[in-house]
Amino acid sequence: MRNGERGRRPMHEMSVALEICRIAEAQVGHDMLAHVREVGLEVGRQSGIEPDHLVFCLEALFERAPFAGARASLELTPGEELSVIYLEVDDVGQAH
Amino acid sequence: MSVRRIEVRERVMERNDALARDVRKRLDRHGVTALNLVSSPGSGKTLLLERTLRDLGGELRMAVVTGDVQTQNDADRIARWTDDLVQAVVTGGACHLDARQVSSALEAIDLHSIDLLFVENVGNLVCPASWDLGEDAKVVLFSVTEGEDKPLKYPKMFQQARYAVLTKIDLLPHLVFDAEKAVGFAREINPRLELVRTSSTDGTGLADWYDLLRRAVLKHSGAGRQLESIASRGASARAR
Repeated sequence: MRNGERGRRPMHEMSVALEICRIAEAQVGHDMLAHVREVGLEVGRQSGIEPDHLVFCLEALFERAPFAGARASLELTPGEELSVIYLEVDDVGQAH
Repeated sequence: MSVRRIEVRERVMERNDALARDVRKRLDRHGVTALNLVSSPGSGKTLLLERTLRDLGGELRMAVVTGDVQTQNDADRIARWTDDLVQAVVTGGACHLDARQVSSALEAIDLHSIDLLFVENVGNLVCPASWDLGEDAKVVLFSVTEGEDKPLKYPKMFQQARYAVLTKIDLLPHLVFDAEKAVGFAREINPRLELVRTSSTDGTGLADWYDLLRRAVLKHSGAGRQLESIASRGASARAR
């Protein structure tokens, strides 16, 4: 079975990926020219998230602005933590 | 053009958890006990709720929020058994209910007039474990037509649950299913789990389930007023 013995599908990860995008978008605000290059995440091994599935979902969502082509950087930790740690944003000189 | 690093350090679940805390506060304020029913698809959540509303409706005031990926069939089935509100949430593909959906569903329910709220989650033993809905406790159902090792395969859900229901036990004579083994696995994962065995078809064990619900409501509400009103309504229901 393609999705592993527990029959997991990336649906769950897609909900999480959407929330990650919402958190990131809230950080860059309404700056239409902002471009997110990298999203740093901490993913606990007990968080119920399959890292490969999460990256797959994020890659699909990162095709649109303000992410276009952004990279997800995952730090795997023990425990249940699931957090957005940092963003790397192109500073295009729009900051006031 | 330079690269700027923004420190975020925000838990992905934070917004959901904040909404869940709000829901929990609203429910507490009205003395409502909320149970989040989780299981695989087809374990018998809806039928157990139908029986519960039929048998306990004169004693406890209950409302139900049902979540389904598509259709509001479960809500329609349950609505036949109660005058109280049944709210259907169609998740449109999502694998779980979230606190926002429950919060909106509660807008249509007069919380002051109910004792017990059931949230029938989407049939799924993985995703609902990550989304707090503001419930008082999770009830995990698993049926004798599933594997005995369900608790071992989905430990997070069984760890989080306060109550478990082993359903469809009328089918045991026809199956190669070792109920003791299944219950043993559940207790191994969660020693504090309170477990009942039921058949919604022939009624076996439903009395245990109803006792569990009565205790959950009394324990949660705690208020003497509530105890009194439940007792008197129970008496009048029996007198009918």
